[in-house]
Amino acid sequence: MAVFGTALNGAGAVLLTHAVYSTHEHTATFASTPLPLDISLELLVSILLLSLGIVVSFAPLKPIQYAQWAGQLSREGRHGEGQYTREGEEMLSEGDPYAFLGLDGGIGGKGEGRRGFWDVKGKRREYEDWVRQGGKQ
Amino acid sequence: MTHANLLSPPSQIPPPTALALSQKAPLILSTSPTSSLPWPLSLLFSRETPESWTIHENLFLSALRTGDEASALTTLERLEARFGEHNERIVTLRGIYNEATAQGNADLEKVFDGYEKILREDATNMSIRKRRVAVLKALGRTSDAVTALTALLTNSPTDAEAWAEASELYASLAAWGQAIYCAEEVLLITPNAWSAHAHIATLHYLSSATNNTPNLVSLAMSLKHFCRAVELNDSYLRGYYGLKFVTSKLNALLSEASSTSLKRNTQDDDDVPVPSIETVKKLEELATSKLAGIVRQFKSGKKGWMGYDEAEIIAARELLDRDAKAVR
Repeated sequence: MAVFGTALNGAGAVLLTHAVYSTHEHTATFASTPLPLDISLELLVSILLLSLGIVVSFAPLKPIQYAQWAGQLSREGRHGEGQYTREGEEMLSEGDPYAFLGLDGGIGGKGEGRRGFWDVKGKRREYEDWVRQGGKQ
Repeated sequence: MTHANLLSPPSQIPPPTALALSQKAPLILSTSPTSSLPWPLSLLFSRETPESWTIHENLFLSALRTGDEASALTTLERLEARFGEHNERIVTLRGIYNEATAQGNADLEKVFDGYEKILREDATNMSIRKRRVAVLKALGRTSDAVTALTALLTNSPTDAEAWAEASELYASLAAWGQAIYCAEEVLLITPNAWSAHAHIATLHYLSSATNNTPNLVSLAMSLKHFCRAVELNDSYLRGYYGLKFVTSKLNALLSEASSTSLKRNTQDDDDVPVPSIETVKKLEELATSKLAGIVRQFKSGKKGWMGYDEAEIIAARELLDRDAKAVR
């Protein structure tokens, strides 16, 4: 779709430039005669092509229904969008906005939500146990 | 495995991920985000972004988790140099560092006393109040933690995170009534949180599961909240899992009740209408088809369906298999 959109935009821009130039040339040479029909048509076609191209090459729209939007977040998870910070960490897409409640791991789950109550001792113990067991994946 | 990202850490950090996160320390600590030039020039040539400090904070936490205290201290010193030692957030991070490096319970008690001292100076420091609860929990004094948390909630009743913590604490004590109350408070603040609906549904289910006689009203409440969770999120694996689980229980109960011609609406304090068996069956069908769809798409590795946790997919598959066996 990206190539198609760019092609439409390119053709539209060329036609628009040509139509504008033709208009200028026409008014410079025959100042008192009306604009020929082909120039007006070219202008309209170029605008049509440009509008189509812009719509076609637009980024996919976000769902406007809450359930669908939330469903998309769950289905796709957080994924990188090709941008990195200076430290080399990838910027991820939008995640679950309620992750801060920490209720997604079930009762007694080990989620990372609720940062204010982060149990540093428990997490350290978990890690030490894992190392003692040989550090399997 | 979920990939390690310090900017937005995954919602679950198993030890291997924690190790991968903290192994990024040398790289990040090798360059300073702040400029070493004198004042007006430092503003021009500073390379810091808001993200660098989020990364530092997350690095600090994962370094502490893996016992890499040297890196944690360096990161903390950087944060202190940037934001000042008296910044609320930095004071909390310093507290977490002290907690992590405390040897034994006596040291931890000392950290706790330090928090008390901070709170005497400034009683409005909410994050230190939360740390107090966390320390009490780490010391194994759950009932004290609950008391501290209720004091916090009296002063700040719109803190959804604290209500959620209270709900989990009560649930860990098997005080289902209180846990449900706290979860409902979470819903008052964040009514559209699908995870909060699933949580409260789980609590309702557990409160009925621990009784010897299954409670129809609790199951109906659980069903209601699971339905709301999947209404808010149309691909919510946990919601559909719970929906299927509860509907199969309710199905058995309701068909039993109708065969012994028991009146369903005999409970006098009953403001929750128990759904009809047809509705329950339809909901079960819906949940089964949705779960099967999610499992299938995940297994085929389709792009746009890989956001689920693999363990949850396996659990959903087991539930479906068990169901298929029962039908055969």
